[in-house]
Amino acid sequence: MSDTPRLVVGPFNRVEGDLEVHLDISEGRVAAARVNAPLYRGFERMLEGRAPGDALTLTPRICGICSISQSAAAARALGAAMGLVPTDQGAMLAALIHAVENVSDHLVHFNLFFMPDFTRPCYAARPWYPRAVARFAAIEGQAARAAIAARAGLMHILGLVAGKWPHTLALQPGGVTRTPGARDVLRIQTELRMFRKHLETQVFGGPLEDFAALDSRSALMRWDRGDAGLFLEIAADLDLDALGRGAGRYLSFGAYPLAEGHGFAPGLWQAGEVTAPNMAAIAEDLSHSWMLGGMAHPFDGVTRPDETMREGAYSWCKAPRLEGAPVEVGALARQLIDGHPLAVQLAGGGVLARVAGRLLELARTQILMEAWAEALDPGAVFMRQGNLPETGEGAGLVEAARGSLGHWLRIEGGKIASYQIIAPTTWNFSPRDAQGVPGPLEAALVGAPVEPGEDSPVSVQHIVRSFDPCMVCTVH
Amino acid sequence: MSDIETFYDVMRRQGITRRSFMKFCSLTAAALGLGPSFVPQIAEAMETKPRTPVVWVHGLECTCCSESFIRSAHPLAKDVVLSMISLDYDDTLMAAAGHAAEAAFEETIEKYKGNYILAVEGNPPLNEDGMFCITGGKPFVEKLRHAAEGAKAIISWGACASYGCVQAAAPNPTQATPVHKVITDKPIIKVPGCPPIAEVMTGVITYMLTFDRMPELDRQGRPAMFYSQRIHDKCYRRPHFDAGQFVEHWDDENARKGYCLYKMGCKGPTTYNACSTVRWNGGVSFPIQSGHGCIGCSEDGFWDQGSFYDRLTTIKQFGIEATADKIGWTATGLVGAAVAAHAAVSVLKRAQKKNEEA
Repeated sequence: MSDTPRLVVGPFNRVEGDLEVHLDISEGRVAAARVNAPLYRGFERMLEGRAPGDALTLTPRICGICSISQSAAAARALGAAMGLVPTDQGAMLAALIHAVENVSDHLVHFNLFFMPDFTRPCYAARPWYPRAVARFAAIEGQAARAAIAARAGLMHILGLVAGKWPHTLALQPGGVTRTPGARDVLRIQTELRMFRKHLETQVFGGPLEDFAALDSRSALMRWDRGDAGLFLEIAADLDLDALGRGAGRYLSFGAYPLAEGHGFAPGLWQAGEVTAPNMAAIAEDLSHSWMLGGMAHPFDGVTRPDETMREGAYSWCKAPRLEGAPVEVGALARQLIDGHPLAVQLAGGGVLARVAGRLLELARTQILMEAWAEALDPGAVFMRQGNLPETGEGAGLVEAARGSLGHWLRIEGGKIASYQIIAPTTWNFSPRDAQGVPGPLEAALVGAPVEPGEDSPVSVQHIVRSFDPCMVCTVH
Repeated sequence: MSDIETFYDVMRRQGITRRSFMKFCSLTAAALGLGPSFVPQIAEAMETKPRTPVVWVHGLECTCCSESFIRSAHPLAKDVVLSMISLDYDDTLMAAAGHAAEAAFEETIEKYKGNYILAVEGNPPLNEDGMFCITGGKPFVEKLRHAAEGAKAIISWGACASYGCVQAAAPNPTQATPVHKVITDKPIIKVPGCPPIAEVMTGVITYMLTFDRMPELDRQGRPAMFYSQRIHDKCYRRPHFDAGQFVEHWDDENARKGYCLYKMGCKGPTTYNACSTVRWNGGVSFPIQSGHGCIGCSEDGFWDQGSFYDRLTTIKQFGIEATADKIGWTATGLVGAAVAAHAAVSVLKRAQKKNEEA
């Protein structure tokens, strides 16, 4: 390996948090990749010994972008320990609050984090380049500005029913602290209508229902309207489907748990089939992490950093595995596990599949949110009281914008005895495990083209960003 | 320095009309609590003064401050954020990546040496020689020291940079340390909160850019215009507190009626911030309005004061707001704040003067 050229790519900007990727290059392609999350804060250790309810305040602060997902997971974990589930309307309002954050994340990822890479000078000769620059040039592009304004409007909903965002406090194990009044419901519906207008005029250039009804890859590639159309034109030109292909094993914990079932169904997708995931078969491997201890299920896991940063390990990130193998998580995983025909056709795909999965989910979630807002009943009970046990345990499994997020909590003597978190990017950007099997991003990077003289290969940028990484969540 | 544009140039270049610009000036004056007579002053400053460059760096944090900032409902917020301030370097929002980004960083701090405002989000962890937060292959604390050298002033955004925030919570595994304990030779303004309110952030930065000095600070180094009153002082549920009407359980009738959340652990009575007046997400609400008590996220050490749901036991109740002692303290506080503010202005002025001479 000593004569293999090595490349260290990072820090990545327009990525939430810090990230470094080490690449071995052979014959103009990535031969092997090692992903390092260089930021560690130790949230799990801070939680130990505290009152269990404090997890509702501390864990959202792991991440300012997906703080509601952390709230939702903490609330569910505490609820599981208390034997408490939210009231029906509480669950629906919690789902709406969570969905607002998730669609905001998708919108920002597309406009501010992912698309600006196509305005790099290396693409100047492409026919779509001037349009990409006009729409997506960082800081100055029209699309980014419109998206920020639309998102700020949508987030008025979070203000109304959740008090503030980021770091909302309203989600509790028994529901939501806020009972929305009739006026709030009206305002929520108005904001949703305005957001739909943004999606239909800017992002999709047509009715959301039409995009959500796309049922095949060829139908998708014919969509030529809005920024989605521009992306698909670029994707076809650069063959983004072939770039950074996934291993085809996907996980979803199920998004938006409601009384009548999940908004998007849970499941494990492998070899073209969906099965119920065995949550007891989740384990975190530490062989290549600067962490001490052995492989363990998160109920039994510990987070003890190896301050010697031992040889052989290369990341602060643990390597979570389901039934011994890595899984890819995110919008594409959710949509294909939910059985959407377009997503099913995109299974195993690369950059195109991940970004298209996100756009599909953006359209479908807006439709869900409108239905929930319609069904809100101001006279209903939105919160149920419960009592924390002296001893107990509970898992909170939710779907953040970027994929499956789990909190595993153990309570002893009325205090938190252990708290373990596996975030979406922990799954996607995990290092190798003891068998040497690379994590999903590491695997997806293999084969990415590296042009001579490129010290920050644009193909690597596209692949990394197609996962929409959230590094602050990865190692918390 | 004559090649630096004015704010007005930048705004015009972004296609902002004169009318919108004037509206921005008057709304800014109002937001900062200044009278209409300040409007022409703000307009003139923006038309004639060279744009003050802002360098925005991120340490150990969650980016919630940036997230709050770009959602500001402040007039022309998206333009304020994306053009007027023209963040010359920002880890999260900028276009460049990797080595190009590091080069842009070096170029920016060299070009505007002594003249830029350094905005810090997050804080440096000092344990293990800073290895828990590495950017560009170096500990963040080195980048911070390096960037601070040429800054004329520093803004500590949020509870992380100001006080440490939750990542400094016991046992503080990474020894996360607030900015003012690492950088001791620069004027620092603290804008605490987790995150701070967007309008407070844009208000503070607009004030500094417009008047080229720090706003009046309190004893803790916070801008007095936003942090001089407690949440409790202007809370819309205050009448229920005074009347002794409290929420006892999350699901009780009192919760639905919107009674006071003091017994649910609300920290409003001891928290200085503008939440109950400016409110959040475009002024629509704030945590207490959503039915959850304040957790005091703009106060030093809020993360290690017992459970967030424990009731405060040290406050006076039912109208007994002040004792003779307390009034004395307040007076001292005011004098202290005035001195601190004056000192800060002087340092800024000095730094500037030196720069002009150079």
